[in-house]
Amino acid sequence: MATTIPSIACLGVIGRNNNPLHTSIFPSYDPSTNSYHPVRTPLQFSLILSSTLDVFELRSRQNQAAGVGLTGDFGLLHAVDDRLAAYGFETNTGIRFVVIVDMRGRRIDSAVAAGLADGRDKRIAGAAAGLREGEMRPVFKAMQAAYIRLTQNPFYDPDEHSSPLGHGGKKIMSKKFAEEMRRIGENWTPGITNL
Amino acid sequence: MDEYPAGSLDHNVPLLLTLGTRTGSGYDAGLGASLKEQAVLIRSDLAPLDSDQAHALLRYIRDRDASELPCNGRDASGRKYRFRVKTAERSLLLPPRRARLPEGIEAPSPSATPAPVLHSPYSPLSPISPLYPDGLIDTQWIRKHQELVPSVLLCFYALVSDPTLAKLCDNQIKTDINTIRALLSQSGYKTRLAVVLLSDHVSSAASFDGVQERLETIRRGSGLDSKALFLVPFTDSQEELERVAENMLTTLYTVSIEYYRDLGRHSRKKRGRGTVPQPTVPPTSGTSQTLSLAGWNVRYDFKSAMFAEYRLEMDVALRSYEQAYENLLSSEVMELIPSWSPRWNEARFLADVVSVRCLRCLFWNGQHSAAARRWQFHRERIADLVERQGRGTKNYGWEAWEARWAVVMADLIDKTDIPELAPTTLRLYLPPEKSIMGERLQPWELLHHTGYWHRMAAKHLQARKAFARAIPEDDRRSPSTSPASHVAKSAFAYDTYMCPDPHEEYPLGRAGVDHSQMIVDRLIRARAEFLKRRQARFAAEVTLECARELAVAKDWQNIVQLLRPIRKDMPFRAEGWVPIAEELNWALRTAAAEAGDAELVLLADWELLSRDFTKRPGWHYDITKSLEDVPLKSKPSVSIQDGQLISFVSASFLFKNEEGKAGQSVRSQLCIKSNAHQGSAPVVLQSVYVSFSGSLDGVVLRHRENEQASQHTHSKATVTTVPLAKHIGSDAQPESSTPDEANNGVTLLGSADLTLRPGQTLVFNMEIPLREPGETRADSLTLNVESEAFTLRQSLKFQERSNSSIWCISGSAMKSLPHPHPLAVHVLPRPPKMEIRCPIWREQYYTDEPITLRFEAENGEDVEALARLDVLLFGEKPPAFAVEIPGHEDQVSSSARSEEARLSGVPMGTIASSNTMAVCLRLPPIERSSRFDLTLKVTYFLPTNPGTPISQRAAFQLNIVSPFEANYGLLPRVHPDPWPSLFDPEGVPLPDTGNGDDDNHAPAPPKGISQAWCLVTRYASFASEPLRVTDVDITIQQATPTIRCSSTKRTGVLPASGTGRLVHPKTIEEAAFDLVAQKATVDDRSPAPLDISLIIKWTRPDADPVSVNTTTLPIPRFTLFGTEPRVLASVSHHRGSQNMTMMTMITLTVTIENASSHFLTFGLSMEPSEQFAFSGPKQTSLNLLPVSRRSVAYRLLPLAVTHQVRDESLGGEKGQDEAERAEEEEGGMWIRPALVVRDKYFQKVLRVIPASEGLRAGKEGLEVWVPTLGLGLGAAEGGEE
Repeated sequence: MATTIPSIACLGVIGRNNNPLHTSIFPSYDPSTNSYHPVRTPLQFSLILSSTLDVFELRSRQNQAAGVGLTGDFGLLHAVDDRLAAYGFETNTGIRFVVIVDMRGRRIDSAVAAGLADGRDKRIAGAAAGLREGEMRPVFKAMQAAYIRLTQNPFYDPDEHSSPLGHGGKKIMSKKFAEEMRRIGENWTPGITNL
Repeated sequence: MDEYPAGSLDHNVPLLLTLGTRTGSGYDAGLGASLKEQAVLIRSDLAPLDSDQAHALLRYIRDRDASELPCNGRDASGRKYRFRVKTAERSLLLPPRRARLPEGIEAPSPSATPAPVLHSPYSPLSPISPLYPDGLIDTQWIRKHQELVPSVLLCFYALVSDPTLAKLCDNQIKTDINTIRALLSQSGYKTRLAVVLLSDHVSSAASFDGVQERLETIRRGSGLDSKALFLVPFTDSQEELERVAENMLTTLYTVSIEYYRDLGRHSRKKRGRGTVPQPTVPPTSGTSQTLSLAGWNVRYDFKSAMFAEYRLEMDVALRSYEQAYENLLSSEVMELIPSWSPRWNEARFLADVVSVRCLRCLFWNGQHSAAARRWQFHRERIADLVERQGRGTKNYGWEAWEARWAVVMADLIDKTDIPELAPTTLRLYLPPEKSIMGERLQPWELLHHTGYWHRMAAKHLQARKAFARAIPEDDRRSPSTSPASHVAKSAFAYDTYMCPDPHEEYPLGRAGVDHSQMIVDRLIRARAEFLKRRQARFAAEVTLECARELAVAKDWQNIVQLLRPIRKDMPFRAEGWVPIAEELNWALRTAAAEAGDAELVLLADWELLSRDFTKRPGWHYDITKSLEDVPLKSKPSVSIQDGQLISFVSASFLFKNEEGKAGQSVRSQLCIKSNAHQGSAPVVLQSVYVSFSGSLDGVVLRHRENEQASQHTHSKATVTTVPLAKHIGSDAQPESSTPDEANNGVTLLGSADLTLRPGQTLVFNMEIPLREPGETRADSLTLNVESEAFTLRQSLKFQERSNSSIWCISGSAMKSLPHPHPLAVHVLPRPPKMEIRCPIWREQYYTDEPITLRFEAENGEDVEALARLDVLLFGEKPPAFAVEIPGHEDQVSSSARSEEARLSGVPMGTIASSNTMAVCLRLPPIERSSRFDLTLKVTYFLPTNPGTPISQRAAFQLNIVSPFEANYGLLPRVHPDPWPSLFDPEGVPLPDTGNGDDDNHAPAPPKGISQAWCLVTRYASFASEPLRVTDVDITIQQATPTIRCSSTKRTGVLPASGTGRLVHPKTIEEAAFDLVAQKATVDDRSPAPLDISLIIKWTRPDADPVSVNTTTLPIPRFTLFGTEPRVLASVSHHRGSQNMTMMTMITLTVTIENASSHFLTFGLSMEPSEQFAFSGPKQTSLNLLPVSRRSVAYRLLPLAVTHQVRDESLGGEKGQDEAERAEEEEGGMWIRPALVVRDKYFQKVLRVIPASEGLRAGKEGLEVWVPTLGLGLGAAEGGEE
C-alpha cells in the first residue's frame, strides 16, 4: 500500500517588475494511472504563479503596516485548492521565489508513511501529513543561494531581467540555474532541513 | 446548501409559538396530508387579541427571531435568548404523538399479545413513516422539532381593567388556559405553556395590588408556574414594552432550554436501554430487516446532539454528532447497507447532515482549522466508502457531491460570518487555532475565504461535466425508450446521490443539467470574493475559466464583457506573462469575432502576430483577413497605444551624431522590425509617422509599391535611403494618419516601400534638417495599417537602451555608435556666417588723434541678411563715438554707465549674400592714454527663417597711448635790456585817476624788471612706429597779469619746409625756446609762476599731412623773479688776430642782479690761474642799489696747456666721463675761472649762474668753454661781438 506525501509541483522566480524570471514544473504522482506527470499545464502554473503576486502585494502591505516580515519569508501565501499550496519568499531586492507544493505529489510506501503519519487509512494519512510552518525555508534558502550564484556571473545583468524602468524583463536563461532549480524541486521532501 | 432538504442543515433554534393574537394569516402546520388528519388541534376559545399593544409586543417578539442570525458564539447584541418564533391566531396543529395503526391491520384485540405498540409517525417503527422499517432518521424529524412542536407556547390574553368585566374575563382566561393545558398534555408533548396578560389601562399604585391579586388568582386557577405568567402593563412607551418583552423572553428561554434538556435526557435514556424497540407491525416487504441497535444508537445520538444544539451546548452537540457519525460510518451501519438500496443514499445524506452540523459546531467554537480538517475528513471518508462499497469516485455523481460539499462549506463560512475573514481584513485565510498550531498542517486546513471554496466547487462541477459528457449514448436515452435490461444495468452503474440519472444529467437530444451555468455561477461568486480581497490576478484567472465555460455555452457577449476589462487593466502583458496574455487573446478573439466586436478582433489578431506567442497551426496570421468572418456595421478604426499590447513590430531610431547645428541636417536611421510569426502574411504599412519633440514635428513615410531603385534587398534587413521633402499645406490633404499634424511644426514627407515581412527589418536612412537650436528628440512611431475593412494605428515609443545605438550600414553589416542618447540630437545654434573684420588694425592708437576704425561685415550666408549692429565700448570713461554706415545716418553712442559707451541696434540694412558692408567707427581724440574693449555684434535675420535671430560678435582691444614724452630745463639768461630804475619817475605807477578809463584802456605797457630765460625741452617718441613731427611749439598760459611773457622759438630744430621731421621711436629730440618775462611794475618784486605747455604737432607718416594731430604736454610750473640777488655769468668769444688762430679772447661778464629792495654790497674776486690769463678787477666791491644790476667784465685769454697738465689738474676728478673728454678733444676744453662773488654784508658766497652758451656750472664752480679752433663755438654763439 502506498500513500502520498507533499512534493514540489512548481518553482517560480518572479522579478521585481512582477515579471516571470523562471518557472520549473515538476511531475506529481497520479494515483489513477500510477505515473508521474505535472498536475497542471504550464499555462495553469503561470496563472497560479501570477496570482501569488496578489498575495505578495497584500502581504507586504500588511507587513509594512505591522512592521514585520523583515526576513522576506512570506510563508504560506495561499492554498490554491485542497491540493496545491503556494509559499513565497521575497528578497530585499524584490525578487520573489514561489514554491507551489502539491500536497499529494509523491508516492511513498506505507512503511515509510507510517513514520510520517499514524492514520488508519492511506487517505487519512495523506491528509494528516501536512506541513509545518517554515518547512519551505530550506527551499527558499537554496533558491536564494542559486540566485546569488547567478548574479555573481558577470554576464548576468539584473537590470536586463528586471528593468529599473519598471517594465517586464527577460527570463533567466542560465542552464545552471535551471538545473539547480530542478535539483531543489526534486530533492525536497517534507522535513528536510538542508538542500 | 440549497440542494439539501429544507431545514436539514440549518442551525436549530428553540421554537416559540404564540397564540391568541390576530396575525391576519392562518397557522400553517406544515404537516403532510396523512399526518394532518391525525394531528392534535390545540385551540383557544377566546377571541384573538387585536389591540395595538398586542401587535406591538408580537412584532417585537417576531423581530427578535434568531433563526437567521449568524451561527457563531459571538453574541451580537448581547441578548440572552434565541428563539425561532411562529405565530398562531386561535388554534394550532401539532403532529400526532402516536401514529395510527396502518390500514388493513385490524384494531388490536385486547386478547392479542403482545398488543401492537404505537410509535411516533416519524419513527422507523411506524409503518406510516418513510423510514419504516430500517431507516435511520430523516429531515421530517428535524423539521418536527424545528417547526412544528414548540418548546414554549405563549398565550396572549387581555387583562380587562373594567371592574364589572374583570372577574368574568379572568375566569374565561383561567378556563382557556386550562383547556389548552389539557389539550397539550393530551397530545403527549411537553411543550411549556406560558401566558402573557396585556393590561389595558394604566396601572396606578392603587390598582396595583388589585392586579397582583387577579394575577395570582389566574395563576392559581390555571396551575401556572409563577415564571410562566407575565403581565404587560399598559404603556405607550416602546422602550417599556421592549424591556418587558426582553425580560419575558429571557425567562422563557430558560424554560425552553429546560424543555430541550428534557428531550435530550429522554433520548439518552432510550439509548441507554440498549434494546431494539419493536415496530408497531413487523415489516413484511423488502428484506423485512429492521433497524439494528447500532442504527438506533445513531438515531439517539443524533437526537441528543440536536437537542444539545437547541440548547447551544455546542461541545455536547459536537460530541454526540461525532458519535453518531462514527457509528453511522462504522461497519455495523453504513457498511451493511447495500449501495443499491435507497437507504444507502439516506445514510450518506445523514452522514452529510451530521458532518455539516459538526462543522457548524466547530465554527461555533472558533475551531476553523479543525472545521477545515473535518470537512476534508468527511470527504475522504465518504470517498473511501464510495470507492469500496459504492460506485466509485469516477463518475459525475461523485463530482456533483464534491462540488456540493465545497459549496456547503462556503455557505457555512458565510453563515458563520467570521470577522477575521471579512473582506476588509484582506486576509485570505485564517491562521490555525492555538490548539493545533505547530502540528503538521495541510495548507488547506487553514480556513480560506469562500472564494476558494466556490472555485473548488466550480472545479468539481467541471469534472462532473466532463464525466457527464463521457456517458455513453445508451445511458443517455430516456428509460422508456431503452430496453428494460439496459435500464436495470445502468441503474446501478451511476451514483445518483442527490443528482439526476444519466438520462437526465446529459440526455440525448435535449438539454439536461446546465453544467456551464452552474460552473459560471460558482466562478462568478468566487470572482466576487477574490475581487473583494484585491486578488485581481486570481480573479482574472477565474474569469478566464469562466470565459471558457461561457464559450461552451456560446455566450459570446458575456465573454467579451468579462474579458475586455482584464485585457485592458491586467498587467499580464507588461509584466511578461506571455502565456496568460496569449490565452486571453485567443479567448477574446474567438468571442469578439462571434460577438461582432471588430476592434477587439483586430487588437487580438495584431498582437497574436508576435512571435512571443506560440504559433497556432492552421491559423492564417494575416491581419487583412482578420475581419473576414466578423459582421461589420462600419469600418472599424483601432488605435493602439504603446505598451497596450505586445507588438510584433518594434521600432528604434538613431541619430548618427550627438550634435548638429541648426540649418544643417543630421543623418538618422529608423528601424522597423517585425517579430511576426514565420509564414505570416507580410503587413503593408500604409504610412509611418515619426514624431519628434523639439524643432521638428514629424516625419511621414508613405508606402510606395515596388520601389526597388535605392533599395538593397537582403534577407534580414532592408536598408533604404529616403529623401525627405517638406510637407506643404496640411489642408490640401487632410491627413488622418498623423495625429499631431495640426501643430504648426514642420513635417517632412518621404515615401518608401513599407511592406513588413515577418522577421524582417526595414531600415530607413534619412537626412533630417535641423532648424531650431536646443534638443530634438525622436519620441514615437505611429504605424498605420489600412485596408478596405479597417484602419489600424499602432504607436510605439522609442526606448533608449544600451544596445539601441546600432547603425545599420547595410542589410548585414552594422556598427555601434558611441552615442549615449541615440534618440536625441543636440542642436547647436545656427553658426553665424556673418564675418566681422577690421582690415587695418593697429596695435596702438595715440592720444590726441581722432581714431577712425573701419570694420567690414561680410555676409557668408546663402541669402541676404537683414542686419543690425551693436557696438559696445568698455573701459574707463570711454568717449562717445559715432558709427557711420553707408546709406544710413550716423549714430552716436550713448553712455549708460560711466565705464561703457553703447550703441545698440544700428540698422545696417540688407547685406546681400557674400557681400561686404563697411562700417566706420569714429572716436574723437582721446587725451589720456587708456585701454578700451570694443565689441561689435551683428545681429541678423535671414528671410528663410525670419523668426530666428543670428548673431555674430567680434571683440577688439583698443590701446591708446601717448605718443611723446618730454623733459624740460629752464636756463636763465641775461636780459639785454636795461632794468628800469626804481628812481625813475616814469616807472612809478600813477594812482588811479578814473575808474572807467583804466578799464577801457589796454593794460599799460609793463615797466617792471625783465628777465630772459631759455627753455630747453627734450622729447622722445614712445610710439611703436616713426611719427612725423611737423611743429614743436610752446604756449604760455598767462596766468597772472603782473608779468608779461613772450617766447621765441629757436629755429633750426625742425626743417623750415613744414614737412616736419620723422621721429623714430625711442629717440630724443631737443627743442629750445627763448623766453622773456617782464614784470608789470617795478614795485612788484614777488615771484611769479610760469605755466607753459609743449605742443607737438605730428602726423602719422603715411597719413594725410593735412590732418595734423596736436599733442600738448604740460610743462611743470616754473617760478620766475625771485627776490634773491642773482649772479649771472655770460661769455662771449672774440677771435684774435688772424695769425693767432689758436688764441681766443673770451669776455666773461658777471652780472649781479639785485631784485630786492635793499642796498647790497658784493665782493668780487678772481683768482689767477694757469689755464688762462685775464684782465679785469682781481678783487673789487660792487654796490647795488635796490632793483638794479651791474656788470663786471673780465677778459680771459686761455693759455695753451697740454693735455697732460690738464689731466694732472683734473686728476682728482676721475668722474669726468668719456663723452666730455671726447668733446674736449674734439673742439676745445673747459677752463675754470675761480670767480667768487660774496655778499659783503652776509658774508655769503653767491653762486655764479651760467647764463649763456659756453658756460656751465661745474662741481667746483663756473666752467668756461674754450674752443680749440676758431670755428668751434663762434658760429653757434650769439655772444657779443
